[in-house]
Amino acid sequence: NIMEFSAEGGGAQIPHLIDMTTSEKVVDLLNQAALIPTDEKLTVLKQVCDLTSLNQFFTEFSNHMIAFQTDKSIEVKKFVIGFIEEACKRDNELLVRLIANLNMLLKDESVNVVKKAILTLTQLYKVTLQWLVRFKVLSEVQEACWDLVTQMKEEVLALLDSENDGVRTHSIKFTESLIITLSPRTSDSDVPKRQEGDISLDKVPKDHSYIRYDVLCEEGKTALEKLLKFMVHPAISSINLTTALGSLATIARQRPMFMSEVVQAYETLHANLPPTLAKSQVSSVRKNLKLHLVAVLKHPCSLEFQGQISTLLLDLGMPQSEITRSTPVPREPRKRPRHEQYTEGKKVKMEPTLIEDDEDKEEPAPLSVPKPAAVPVAQSAIDLTAEFLHPLLSPENVANLVLISMVYLPDVMPASFQATYTPVESAGTDAQIKHLARLMATQMTAAGIGPGLEQCKARGDDAGKEEGNEEDSSAKDLLIKRKVPPVMLGQAISVVGGYAEKAPSPETPTTVKRLPEPILPTAQTKIAGASGRKKVFRLSDVVQPLSETQIEKLTSSAVKRILHSEKAIAQSGMSHVRVKILSRLVTQFEGMMKEDVLEFILEDIRTRSDLAFSLLYQEYNTYLSQLPTGLLDSYDHCLYTLLSGLQEKPEQRDGLFTKLVLEAPIITESALDVIRRYCEDESRVYLGMTTLKELIVKRPSRQFQYLHVLLDLSSHEKEKVRTTALAFLKRMYEKDQLRDYIEKFALNYMQLLVHPNPPSLLFGADKDTEVAAPWTEETVRQCLFLYLSLLPLNHRLVHELASVYTEAIADIKRSVLRAIEQPIRGMGMNSPELLLLVENCPKGAETLVTRCLHILTDKVPPSPELVERVRDLYHKRVPDVRFLIPVINGLEKHEVIQALPKLIKLNPIVVKEVFNRLLGTQHSEGSSSVSPLTPGDLLIALHNIDSTKCDMKSIIKATNLCFGEKNVYTSEVLAVVMQQLMEQNPLPMLLMRTVIQSLTMYPRLGGFVMNILSRLIMKQVWKYPKVWEGFVKCCQRTKPQSYTVLLQLPPAQLTSVFERCPEMREPLLHHVHSFTPHQQAHIPASIMAVLEANKKPEPKPVEPVMEKEVRDKDATHTLKCSFSDKSENLANSYLMPQCNFIWSVSFTIQIELVAAPPSSVVIEAPTAALIEPETPIQMSDKPSPQPEPAEEPMEASQPEPSELQEPEKDAEADVTGPEAGSGSEDVE
Amino acid sequence: MPSHPLRVAVVCSSNQNRSMEAHNILSKRGFDVRSFGTGSHVKLPGPAPDKPNVYDFKTTYEQMYNDLVRKDKELYTQNGILHMLDRNKRIKSKPERFQNCKDKFDLVITCEERVYDQVLEDLNSREQETLQPVHVINVDIQDNHEEATLGAFLICELCQCIQHTDDMENEIDELLQEFEEKSNRPFLHTVCFY
Repeated sequence: NIMEFSAEGGGAQIPHLIDMTTSEKVVDLLNQAALIPTDEKLTVLKQVCDLTSLNQFFTEFSNHMIAFQTDKSIEVKKFVIGFIEEACKRDNELLVRLIANLNMLLKDESVNVVKKAILTLTQLYKVTLQWLVRFKVLSEVQEACWDLVTQMKEEVLALLDSENDGVRTHSIKFTESLIITLSPRTSDSDVPKRQEGDISLDKVPKDHSYIRYDVLCEEGKTALEKLLKFMVHPAISSINLTTALGSLATIARQRPMFMSEVVQAYETLHANLPPTLAKSQVSSVRKNLKLHLVAVLKHPCSLEFQGQISTLLLDLGMPQSEITRSTPVPREPRKRPRHEQYTEGKKVKMEPTLIEDDEDKEEPAPLSVPKPAAVPVAQSAIDLTAEFLHPLLSPENVANLVLISMVYLPDVMPASFQATYTPVESAGTDAQIKHLARLMATQMTAAGIGPGLEQCKARGDDAGKEEGNEEDSSAKDLLIKRKVPPVMLGQAISVVGGYAEKAPSPETPTTVKRLPEPILPTAQTKIAGASGRKKVFRLSDVVQPLSETQIEKLTSSAVKRILHSEKAIAQSGMSHVRVKILSRLVTQFEGMMKEDVLEFILEDIRTRSDLAFSLLYQEYNTYLSQLPTGLLDSYDHCLYTLLSGLQEKPEQRDGLFTKLVLEAPIITESALDVIRRYCEDESRVYLGMTTLKELIVKRPSRQFQYLHVLLDLSSHEKEKVRTTALAFLKRMYEKDQLRDYIEKFALNYMQLLVHPNPPSLLFGADKDTEVAAPWTEETVRQCLFLYLSLLPLNHRLVHELASVYTEAIADIKRSVLRAIEQPIRGMGMNSPELLLLVENCPKGAETLVTRCLHILTDKVPPSPELVERVRDLYHKRVPDVRFLIPVINGLEKHEVIQALPKLIKLNPIVVKEVFNRLLGTQHSEGSSSVSPLTPGDLLIALHNIDSTKCDMKSIIKATNLCFGEKNVYTSEVLAVVMQQLMEQNPLPMLLMRTVIQSLTMYPRLGGFVMNILSRLIMKQVWKYPKVWEGFVKCCQRTKPQSYTVLLQLPPAQLTSVFERCPEMREPLLHHVHSFTPHQQAHIPASIMAVLEANKKPEPKPVEPVMEKEVRDKDATHTLKCSFSDKSENLANSYLMPQCNFIWSVSFTIQIELVAAPPSSVVIEAPTAALIEPETPIQMSDKPSPQPEPAEEPMEASQPEPSELQEPEKDAEADVTGPEAGSGSEDVE
Repeated sequence: MPSHPLRVAVVCSSNQNRSMEAHNILSKRGFDVRSFGTGSHVKLPGPAPDKPNVYDFKTTYEQMYNDLVRKDKELYTQNGILHMLDRNKRIKSKPERFQNCKDKFDLVITCEERVYDQVLEDLNSREQETLQPVHVINVDIQDNHEEATLGAFLICELCQCIQHTDDMENEIDELLQEFEEKSNRPFLHTVCFY
């Protein structure tokens, strides 16, 4: 109510809002409320209520409030319901508008909202009625409003059958309130103060234009009927029962006219507590019953029922003294007129008939009723039957009854009996006999038998005949009849003597005959009661055999009914029984029902897993019970269907599949197939294999069977399946008991590689590859997946690979080599087993070993152990130089040089790789490998290769590879190489080729080359024909720079030059002529003669001696010259220690680049001279290669000319252009 | 889970030991909890079983404490009564009688059957108004310190379970069955209406 809102709500906030007008404030708050979270929203809405409740805006803003009923929050919705209630109570006119909203909320999906709506309707029903009966004539909207309220009332009554316990509880309370509203308040009604102003039937005008008094009256009675019927439901929950007991007490006290029904319902209940109640619930219910009985007893109108009530209370363990204390002192005789008015005279007509009964009857209450008019309702079937039974209960009869009924006692004492049993203290007394009679009468009436019932029926029919349209009274008894079946089902055995009443019934006619016996519309009861005892019952008389199809149909529909009663049974808490029944039924009988049940389970397996398991276990049990001969077929089918069903379901996260697999007593072949399929599903592979793993671990007796499935999957075509399987297997490989099996499988699989064609085993069963297909990369890998993933875990296995490898065909070998990279890398070069493999290197596995070596050294330098093994292998067993390549950087320098001739003869790609390794150009980064050879060493070593061991072509190709690495072979490196080569004796055959090549690459080396040429003259280069040939070519290419060099030649050699290139003579002569006279004077005459050869023949014989002298002089002279020259400082630098040699060379080159050709001549001369003294130091530093016999180059020289020619041509073709260009630059 | 916090009342006979122990624990666990007694007086053990200290419900814990210190400090220290009162006065000032409280609860937990009966009697004697349900559950606890502590934990666990149900009214029945089985003691349970 509003008071509550303001108490809880933001009362504090109101003051600061006072400045605005109320209307503005409300608008503001409502706008706020729409946008804020639930908690604050409630506060704000409460403020709105506070503001509006005080003034005229209330109605105005109600619509805005109502808009919040669609809010997501349950609390806001409930708040809106509260608002509706308050609003409608405040302003009844609002009912017309708001009731529909309440109706909507009544159907809300949240039970909490529905419950709140029910509470509100409980209030608003009364409010609406009270409001509408004030009008003589209703408007159309008012009529609609009433119609809707009536409809809602029906809906809430129907909620007595709701699935939700709380909703049912609320519905009971609604029903209670409805019954009170729709029945007249009488003078003996207890009226709570708060409800004094409430409407009740007596305030409804009988002549209202729209709301009919009689209809309301009828609805009230129907509601009571419903409530009574609800109470006897055998599976009623303890709380519902408690609630209903309380409601009945309230009804009895506020509407004593219903006291009879109430007391009777209490009695019935007491004798028939629902079997579903637990022990403590029985105590709770009994406590409540006691409490409410006392409450009813205290009411003055209980007088007529005091006997029954006190008997019940005694039974419930209340001391007599306390009962007496609660019994009201009889007051003035109650006024009855209102009752009579209510029953509308009908009952009055019945009175005379019943008065007779009353006279026969021993009234249980000490005070007999002065006005029997009040009794008719009380004189029920139970009363009549009890009276009838009372004299029959002689000790003898009772003893017989007890003996007979012993047969029907259940094996186990029911909880309710145990809880309620109290030793009979007053056995044999009249009161106790009476009580016993009454107990039996209650049971008999409940079972639909006994004279009382028949009398009542007769009476009802009688009344019905007299007043055709009035059936109220019989309705009450019919009600009792209707509740019979459910009671019988669950109850009959819970009370002693449930079946024994048939015996006394023959003696009933005396009573029965007193009333006319009409034809009863409900004949079944009579047959059961009366005729059953007369004839000897023979089953065959009353039944006919059913046809086969009928049986089938009935069976199947019976099973279906059990199947589909899922919810109802769940409510009653008997699900486990249903599950048990279903699984027993289905396993016992063959036929369609099995399929039906399985299908039913699979529709919603999550909630029906209980049934699934139960069924499965039952099937297994059946199998076990038939053991030696029993078949697993049925169990297998069940398990298979369930698993397949789960497997085929698209989404299924709760691990039910796993649970089913792990809890199934036996995994059959077909079930294993399903598991396999499950594993093959990429989206579930992990769960599937986890399950499989669990099986393997937890079911050791068949673990290899399960393991085999996993192993099969390890070569699956789907990568995810395969990798997951491999991951699982790797982990299992660590388990000792599985290790051997896995290993054997892997090796067997790999062993398949020795077959010439892939065995059909490698192709899934679906692919019928009978034809011998060739091995493919894929099929080869298939055989290796498992093996290769085990390899890093167990290095020993590597030898198996080697033995398979030797036997396999070439295609397979190739595939294997490709596949092993990862695992071999994983093993690492320190693996003793790998080292052992290298050491042993089985015949035929050389390529495999080489591949391993390559993989191992691909990223890291070889370890000394590895190098040692390879060296051994190479030297002692397989002298294949290719072994050395991967470890080449781990070898000694001399070993490399020794192997070089063989290495460079290999495939160019391989040679390239060797060089990459040696030159360190292979590894992108992190290569800590240090080559045993420097680049210079390598090039020199190439020049010194014994031409008997290797053809010149390979050597040239190898040197070309070096020249290709411009980053490594810089001008500095080449200069050193040339320098060293030149120092050798004899000169290497390829020296000049290298010089020319270097010059082509680095034109700025020109000066240095001139120096070399000069020194070659001193070494009498012409004695080495090949070198001499290159010398001339070089001079030819380097003119005019080479003129100075040419002039240093002895005349005979100069002549030889001109013989080879006559076109050189003329320019050289010109060159000489351009000298100053002083300079010209230094040119010996013999040279001039050669230069001017056309005019004079040469004086050859003297020349050699001459030349040498001249040359020596010449040198010293030039030296002096140069010292006086302006490049004095530069020359000085050549005197610096040898360590600066390289630097000096480069410096020289730089200078040269700037220097103009004529002056450069002067500079070059001293350079050559200056270097000479230093050479010895160099020689001592780096011992030059062994001088080779002079003949050897000659032998190898056959192909030489072409060899020499070839690169030269290349170089010319490639380089001439740039060279010319750079030359012209120099000039400028 | 119910959208509003459960309003819980714990009731014993004198609102001293069992209900206060539970009150203490429940409020520490964040419950909206109150505690009550149903007796006509507040009784505390005295020097002999037939000589209890009797107070009315208006006496504060503080006053009782001082009174007992004055009477026999050693005795009441030794039997833990002073300690208990000291605890109580830090929770609230004085005991409350259930029958005098008109506030509404969702759950009333009683600590013995007699108290349960009295609560039921009281609730049923009130005039019904809103028909809002209140569940009453009895958990039998012997009236001594140890049992009170154990009982309080049981009550707390029960309340936590109830608080965590999606639909308390629909699940409470089953929940109590489970608890009965687990704790091996019967619970009386009923519903009343305001």
